[in-house]
Amino acid sequence: MRAAGATLATFWLAFSLTGCSTFATRETKLQAVKTVGIIAAVGDEMSFATGGLTGIDGRSRRFPISSWGLDDQIVRQATAALGGRYSVQPVTYTRDVFARRIENSVLTPVNVIRADPYKRLVQTAVSPQGLDAYVVITKAKSNFGSGARKIEGIGLLSYRTVMASYTQIHALYEIRVFDGKSFDLIEKLAAPPLDNTGTIRIAGPSRVIDESFALDAGDPAQNEKLRAAISDLVARSLSSTLGDMQLAASR
Amino acid sequence: MLLAPVGAVADPLITLPAPAFEIPHLPSVSGTWTVTAGVGASYGPDFEGAKRSMLSPVPIFSIHRAGSADQFRGPLDAASIALIDFGDLRAGPAAKLVGARKANNFTELIGLGDVNTAYEVGGFVEYYPVDWFRARVETLQGFGGQQGVVANVSADFIVPIIERLIISAGPRFTWESTKAVAPYFGITAAQAAASGLPAFNAQGGPHSVGFGTQVSYRFTPQWEVHSYVEYARLLGDAANSPLVTLRGSRNQTTFGIGASYSFDIKVR
Repeated sequence: MRAAGATLATFWLAFSLTGCSTFATRETKLQAVKTVGIIAAVGDEMSFATGGLTGIDGRSRRFPISSWGLDDQIVRQATAALGGRYSVQPVTYTRDVFARRIENSVLTPVNVIRADPYKRLVQTAVSPQGLDAYVVITKAKSNFGSGARKIEGIGLLSYRTVMASYTQIHALYEIRVFDGKSFDLIEKLAAPPLDNTGTIRIAGPSRVIDESFALDAGDPAQNEKLRAAISDLVARSLSSTLGDMQLAASR
Repeated sequence: MLLAPVGAVADPLITLPAPAFEIPHLPSVSGTWTVTAGVGASYGPDFEGAKRSMLSPVPIFSIHRAGSADQFRGPLDAASIALIDFGDLRAGPAAKLVGARKANNFTELIGLGDVNTAYEVGGFVEYYPVDWFRARVETLQGFGGQQGVVANVSADFIVPIIERLIISAGPRFTWESTKAVAPYFGITAAQAAASGLPAFNAQGGPHSVGFGTQVSYRFTPQWEVHSYVEYARLLGDAANSPLVTLRGSRNQTTFGIGASYSFDIKVR
């Protein structure tokens, strides 16, 4: 398999070099950036979804978790991570506007070619304007199970099989970097999975949890163990994702 | 070139630099990707309607974003891409390649002439009312070896036994137009004289009904094995063709097995 990897790497290098002067790269654009603002809108609610051998009604339930302060945690951690390379400026914004669910078009090619839905929000709902770039951290989606069902943002997925049931928490988010003058999207990356793929495949950070989380007992927002587990998932993945985007040093 | 371990879905392998250019409107390739490569084999009829079977190798290769869900796929599904996606209902173009049937390769076909490779192009619709059931319809127009219409209907119950072991099974039905059936099951007067079979004017209609099942098991996040059985009973003029009644079989069974290995590459 390592030979296959080396072959792939050779083809990739050739592919990369052929287009060197065709378009400006994100690195070129990022080199000019000095000041950045950070916007986070991931942690307003948590979804409870089911997969595998479910009943006919497989709709998700949602619970507010704003009291956990996840978005503030994300801004603090991103500020610390980016601070070595950029001057991070505080910004104000209406968090609910960025947290609002953005529905994908049912025509999948439209989602690829349409303007980024957050571009206009950065132009109109963030203050101050005029920074070199804005880093926007919002909810991401992932398919799960055999079909095409989707989960989003912070949540918990119960997956039932014939022999057992599994419960997995997830923190699905994506990071965009917008040019502060043109508001063009410089870079976008969804946080990738961590070391967590033994059970249900989800295209983002997740981990299996056990019965000790006592999910049936009361309001999930009051579940301190759940809050701590989600917070840890966000913390561990944010550092590596910012590193992958070369916005911060990789850990 | 930076080669470094990657910790993600599969075994750490390599990190690749992002391309030195970006194409407007297309998503960045940066991120973690999972490459799956493997080999499989199928043991099925020499040709449609044959009573003898042969073994054929089947390559396995795919590349997708790390963590992407294991979308269910039937062994006989046409290659397809969903351009319309309501979540539980998906639709889009589909295509299938049907290999040439060479008369010289099989004694049963001597005198019947060759049938060229057929390119079948059309669309599919599939519906998941729940996570564990899929209904799918494909309608394909043939070009080349056959120039008729083929409609494939299938349903699959997808049952996870444990998280790594999934069994699926369900019925199959195929309808074909006269132009799709005739090249393979019709016998002209000239072919009758050359083959010793009676002439036969094959018409379209219900083509086959059957049942399929498959099992997949993931030993580790990297290694996965799968196997399947697809049974079809020929119907209509495909079943009544002298090629089938005198030299072949209405019962068509295909067995398949495969193993694949997944590894991650990181593009940054």
